[in-house]
Amino acid sequence: MRVWLPTVLLAALLGGLSVGMSVLEPLFAWVQPDTSRVIYERESFAFLLYNHLMLVVVSAVIGTIAAVAGGIFATRPAGRDFLPLVSQIASIGQTFPPVAVLALAVPVLGFGEAPILLALILYGLLPILRNTLAGLEGIDPAVREAALGMGMSPLQVLLRVELPLAGKVILAGIRTSVTINIATAAIGSTIGARTLGDPVIAGLVNGNTAYVLQGAILIGLLALTADSLFEALERNWDRHSGRVRPPVFR
Amino acid sequence: MAKIDGTAAPRPTPNRVVPVLAAVALVLVWLLDLGTIQPNRIVPGTGHGLVSAVGWPGAGLVSLVLIASLAVSILPLAWRYWALLVLAGLSLALLPLLLEVFAARHLPPDSPYARSSVGAGFWCLLFLLSLMLIEILGRLKAGRGVQLLVMVVIGGSWLVLLRGAGLESLSLVREFNAQPDKFAQALRAHLALAFGAVAVSAGLAVMLALKMMRSPAWQRPILGAVSFMQTIPSLAVFGLLIAPLSALSSAFPVLQELGVRGIGWAPALLALIAYSLLPMVRNTFVALTEVPESLADAGRGMGMSERQLFFQLKVPLALPVIIEGVRITTIQAIGLTAVAALIGAGGFGGFIFQGLGQSAMDLVLLGALPTIALALVADALFTLLAASLRPVPATA
Amino acid sequence: MIELKQVTRRFGNVVAVDAIDLTIETGEVCVLVGSSGCGKSTTLRMINRLLPHSAGDILVDGKSITTMNPQQLRLNMGYVIQGTGLFPHWTVARNIAMVPRLLKWPQARIDERVRELMTLLDLDPATHADKYPQQLSGGQAQRVGVARALAADPNILLMDEPFGALDAITRDNLQLEMLRIQQQVRKTTVFVTHDIDEALKLATRIAVMDRGRIVQHDTPENILRRPASEFVENLVGRQDRGLKLMSLRPVRELMTPHASPKRSDPGADALKEDDSVRLALSVMLWQDLKQLAVFNARGEETGVITRERIMQDGL
Repeated sequence: MRVWLPTVLLAALLGGLSVGMSVLEPLFAWVQPDTSRVIYERESFAFLLYNHLMLVVVSAVIGTIAAVAGGIFATRPAGRDFLPLVSQIASIGQTFPPVAVLALAVPVLGFGEAPILLALILYGLLPILRNTLAGLEGIDPAVREAALGMGMSPLQVLLRVELPLAGKVILAGIRTSVTINIATAAIGSTIGARTLGDPVIAGLVNGNTAYVLQGAILIGLLALTADSLFEALERNWDRHSGRVRPPVFR
Repeated sequence: MAKIDGTAAPRPTPNRVVPVLAAVALVLVWLLDLGTIQPNRIVPGTGHGLVSAVGWPGAGLVSLVLIASLAVSILPLAWRYWALLVLAGLSLALLPLLLEVFAARHLPPDSPYARSSVGAGFWCLLFLLSLMLIEILGRLKAGRGVQLLVMVVIGGSWLVLLRGAGLESLSLVREFNAQPDKFAQALRAHLALAFGAVAVSAGLAVMLALKMMRSPAWQRPILGAVSFMQTIPSLAVFGLLIAPLSALSSAFPVLQELGVRGIGWAPALLALIAYSLLPMVRNTFVALTEVPESLADAGRGMGMSERQLFFQLKVPLALPVIIEGVRITTIQAIGLTAVAALIGAGGFGGFIFQGLGQSAMDLVLLGALPTIALALVADALFTLLAASLRPVPATA
Repeated sequence: MIELKQVTRRFGNVVAVDAIDLTIETGEVCVLVGSSGCGKSTTLRMINRLLPHSAGDILVDGKSITTMNPQQLRLNMGYVIQGTGLFPHWTVARNIAMVPRLLKWPQARIDERVRELMTLLDLDPATHADKYPQQLSGGQAQRVGVARALAADPNILLMDEPFGALDAITRDNLQLEMLRIQQQVRKTTVFVTHDIDEALKLATRIAVMDRGRIVQHDTPENILRRPASEFVENLVGRQDRGLKLMSLRPVRELMTPHASPKRSDPGADALKEDDSVRLALSVMLWQDLKQLAVFNARGEETGVITRERIMQDGL
């Protein structure tokens, strides 16, 4: 249970602040003394948080499904021919800066949530794809050989052996993807998505540091909450597969 | 296990990737608009499909090239990948000619504000041809030299064609020609910020890595701190730096004179350095500590001092991994510098956000495309550098 | 019984296995031996259809394997490979239980079977059942691999250089263990190795393979006595053959038995009836003796073996 504690605490802080930011009004008034509007009120923080979260969750779910399916396809006998190209796409695609991808979505799809969602999905599936390939390719060939040779069907080999063994690496890919997408969704405010980036952008445009801080704090907390959630999931994974955690530095 | 050498088989198996890519390209290039014509900068343009844009001869040529690559790729010929390389490489190099023909056919001669834009069909063609080229180069197991040659030919051809008179009406070129000085300035600012951050963080990272090697107790806190910074989204970091930096600069006028303010290059540089530390520190540390102890022992046994060991053994062996860290950091910094334009740091991000604000898509492209190009060039250069520094040449 | 009839396997233009005929009788241990790339592993992997054969037919108990569902076929064949192929995310017990679970045995029966097999392979269930493969030594891991192959009591056992990656002492132990287990379970076994000594020790019959063909298929003794070609002669070692033959022969065959067993103290190094003539000779040479007493499993002296007799009839 202790592994979940940081996540719960951070989530509580995030939720609390997004509902009751006005508690900190004196603090922001001290930062930004020369204005009457100290707390961002164009949209409620709770709404912005919800919207931000939905963008990230939806893109993560779709991206994970697409990337894992693609990774599985490229490592099956039927799709092996595509493996070199798919892994090249996964690595070259990640050299594209996320902001640029986000910006390119606008000329193609216009302003609003749809281009952001598409950009988040496309960009977010690259690390998951790369890790799925790494995880599946990293399995000792003897394990697959033995599983098949003992009479498992290819589907049983995939579901009971390959995916459980690659799972931790795939999970790490999802973690990277979500971290990037939380940041990219925040920048999405500039192309018309309602996210926690809104107060930051509004504050920058109007020279209101208090707005900027409020948005920045919530974005930071959201990222930390998500990160600690994945940290806990990874630890849980280790415990369930019963392996001793090797000393990995991340 | 008895392994049978597959290379002994002289009959090449048909490629399945290139035909798929060619077929998809063929469908998309016929379905989508190749380009649009706008009467001026803001008014949305009218789209033109393949035939309308470049006429039947042009459409025929494009289709022929795609069908030819499809056909060649499934023929069991030994030299087919070289043929495909020439085919795909030339098509890519000459792709802007399509736009030139399009502009010549459709641009009203008497209106100076009219401009042609690139359509989805063209982007798809570019994308799929590039994928084809990557696949072909991979199958050829082409060496660095061939890859570089292909890049130079294609890049050079694009530069020449884009600077020529035929594409003056292209919106992107128009945007560039409208403000060439601003473009150069943005390029300088972008490079200065990104490489400045990489250089500073490289220095810091080496110091931190050495500290971690000498006192292992510092490993956890240092790695924890740098990975914590990597977790916080860039927009939040830029935002959080505004208040303390403006407080500092108003408290110390000297800083103000230097240009240190809550917004501008100072918070951008600080944030970029913070972000760059994780990949740099991690790679440097891992590279230096992963030199096999047996090698170090061999060196010691033959009388090398620890200092000689470090400079003559550990550093050369670790260098490719460290360069890999620099590569990741540079690509990341180039992308983040674009975001830093939001706090007034300049660079190509300025065009992007300005264009988004004015709904001027060509201005967005003028910012986004060079950012991507910079990242790709940096990627290629550092990959090349790391490969050439590898003490033992990588076997194919 | 496994029958290979004119079985061929091609990879592209390369013929890996070239029209081989091979019959493996029920309960015998057939060892395929040859240098790497000779097609022995390919042959093995065609029997459980991990590789399809290009031509010919493979029959198991008279039925062509191409007519069977490959999964069903494999579930009835234990498979042991060099790298063990143990699933790193499963415990030892779960690994051994793999095939019984696929066959949906009741849990109680599975638990019982796992315990039985671990005991058979000299692994203490109490200490090892809940370990993960990476916590085992190489020898222990391969024991688990063998246990897993035997779990659902298959009729056939396929072993692809199972002891190839182990150190000499562990390999020796596992070979002895395998002989002991084989006496109990009598599986039809196909065993692939490049080590001729391993083949001589374990096989009831050896098939020597070279460049995709079987150059000789015979008992170990006949392979040594009458090698069919120069290749086989080189493989078994031209000048080493005398000692190798002696090592196939138990002392029992050459000893002079006593009228009735005598009670005496055998000591730890005493020669047993099942020990090889080669061992007897070695002991005599080292201790400079003309004869040695031979003991049975119960520690009773049952006869003597003389140096003279070995020299006369040893081969």
